[in-house]
Amino acid sequence: MAEFHKLLARLKGALEKPQAPAAHENHVPVTPVPVASIAQRAELASSFARELEAVSGRFLGVLTADEAAARVALLARETSAKSVAIGEGVTTKMSIFSAALETAGCALMKPRGIDKGQEDARAAMIAQFAATDIGIAEAHYAIASTGTFAVMTAEARPSSLTLLPPISVIIVHIDRVVSNLAAAVAGFGVDAIATNRVSFITGPSRTADIEKRIVMGVHGPKMLCGAIIWPNE
Amino acid sequence: MAEVSHRGDFFEASRAGVADTELRRKLENASGRHLEHVAEMRAEFPPFEAERDAARRIKQDTIAHLDEYLIALKGKLEANGCAVYFAADAEQAREYILEVAKKNNVKRVVKGKSMTTEEIGLNNALMRTGIEVTETDLGEYIVQLRHEPPSHIITPAIHLSKEDIGQLFADKLHTPYTAEPEELTAQAREKLRSIFLGAEMGITGVNFAVAETGTLVVIENEGNGRMSSTLPEVFVGVMGIEKVIPKLEDVSHFLEVLGRTATGQKLTTYTNFINGPRRKSEIDGPREVHVVILDNGRSAMLADPVMREALYCIRCGACLNVCPIYRRVGGHAYNSTYPGPIGSIISPNLFGSAAGHLPFASTLCGACRDICPVRIDIPRILLHLRWKETEGAGAIEWPRDARRVRKGAQRFAKLARYPRLVRAMGNIGSIVLRPISHDGWVRRMPGAFRAWTKIRDFPRPRPHRARKSSDTSAS
Repeated sequence: MAEFHKLLARLKGALEKPQAPAAHENHVPVTPVPVASIAQRAELASSFARELEAVSGRFLGVLTADEAAARVALLARETSAKSVAIGEGVTTKMSIFSAALETAGCALMKPRGIDKGQEDARAAMIAQFAATDIGIAEAHYAIASTGTFAVMTAEARPSSLTLLPPISVIIVHIDRVVSNLAAAVAGFGVDAIATNRVSFITGPSRTADIEKRIVMGVHGPKMLCGAIIWPNE
Repeated sequence: MAEVSHRGDFFEASRAGVADTELRRKLENASGRHLEHVAEMRAEFPPFEAERDAARRIKQDTIAHLDEYLIALKGKLEANGCAVYFAADAEQAREYILEVAKKNNVKRVVKGKSMTTEEIGLNNALMRTGIEVTETDLGEYIVQLRHEPPSHIITPAIHLSKEDIGQLFADKLHTPYTAEPEELTAQAREKLRSIFLGAEMGITGVNFAVAETGTLVVIENEGNGRMSSTLPEVFVGVMGIEKVIPKLEDVSHFLEVLGRTATGQKLTTYTNFINGPRRKSEIDGPREVHVVILDNGRSAMLADPVMREALYCIRCGACLNVCPIYRRVGGHAYNSTYPGPIGSIISPNLFGSAAGHLPFASTLCGACRDICPVRIDIPRILLHLRWKETEGAGAIEWPRDARRVRKGAQRFAKLARYPRLVRAMGNIGSIVLRPISHDGWVRRMPGAFRAWTKIRDFPRPRPHRARKSSDTSAS
């Protein structure tokens, strides 16, 4: 604590100079882009798909939840996946995915909260995520201009779900596809971000550390598949 | 002062770097690719210049009110359940982290990429107490296996070829030799995954810390930052005092320019918002979060009105890739945690006189200022530091040739007060040097002037009359 006060004294001494104008005086607060028309939604979805593929993600399509579940089951068969972890949804009933994947012969894992003191259970669940072939999560927002998913963690939607399995599938509701990063941050709001962990995910894990050659799947997923859920209206 | 600032001799190392044509090929290859990506990204994002201005304005405001924002950040972080420690210098930071490790009986540490922990020499301090420290960024992991420091802020192993890395892995990891980046990456993934799952403590740097919400923003591409801040029970974020930003809405302005300039991406693969320990019942996330906020010479930079601008730096590393000096000598020649143009201005402040010569390692071409996402006027600061060094005690130990050249320049500066004398000298020089000059340049000067032409050519002075007539015709 003493060090903090000493630092403040140093900073105050150093700052006894004319001050620069405040940066926020000229700023207009950013608000989420209201998604009003079907045409606008379609345009955002199209832009998102293009950007996701530009960062080596695989776009599964603009689908209903049932269609998306069928596509993911097909993906599981294509990749010979044996186990799938499914996180809690944001707006979509994830039980649709569970049913489709069970039919496809996959073992399902559903994250659940861990009570205090159950450290062994926590370690076991994390190890299970690491051994799972596919992790499925629903994002709170998708950013059309960058092909990014914004996923907020929850008890039954842990960070490990989109980090440890080699294949990550993330879905998002069409109404939550926003134009840019500022809109997504504003969409969460200050209070939600102040109290939750959020991961903005733009493509599969990658590196360019060896001769600037881009390679996927360094630590996180090697494959990232995304789908936009557009329910029948 | 950090222990990492006193390796080797810049003059020797830069001479070796220039002579190493293979190193130059690797640097040109990597930085050339980087600059192509940056140019593409900028061209297809018209608001880029406006975002640069916004980012600079925010930094300007933050640094001018740094004390207030740090108070706000501390309050929010503590409210979120984080432990906050202000470290005056590298030693205090190291001691605090060692204490946290000891209290939690930590045996294994995984580290995400962090130049600030390089600055404080954290790895050695942890390893001296018997803790196993593993760098998990692929580039950092490679240089750790070679027991050498990173040679670039963003691409630590930029000085190595894929063949070098293949041989390194074969020797150290006992994997079959390959020079394929995909296979080498897979080998590292396999090795590091089990280390992640067994580590008790994770340490990363922090790109931005939002005072409004107490959010730590950690940006990366590989997922190792997420792993380090998610899987171990204890997480430590280490940041300089200048990493604070006022509001959540400010983050997007920085992210719009950082990825595009650092790696030529619109947004890096992972942008992680960390707010504190895991909540009750959550499966992952750390039980304890510690934030170490480091001064280590930064408040002294703040007190200097010219140097203050260096605190705007968001560590994108782009100035290294455009710098003609860095591209010829490589990062290790700088003998500092922070190489390249940005390193040349901050290292003397962080590491003292051991890095005092770095402001002279520049051609002042201005390419660094042009590419900087927050428009730091690096050449102006370099000149300021050179002036300070020249006016000050002169702590730099220059090599003999450089000493001669500097002495000669000082004598010339005295003579330059007498324009007639300078004109007369120019006329004499023009006549005397004519027989040994080619195309207006002298490759090898005689006698006392030889030191100058050892590493650069000397322009043959033109006779005063000729200069006058050409000036007139040009106008």
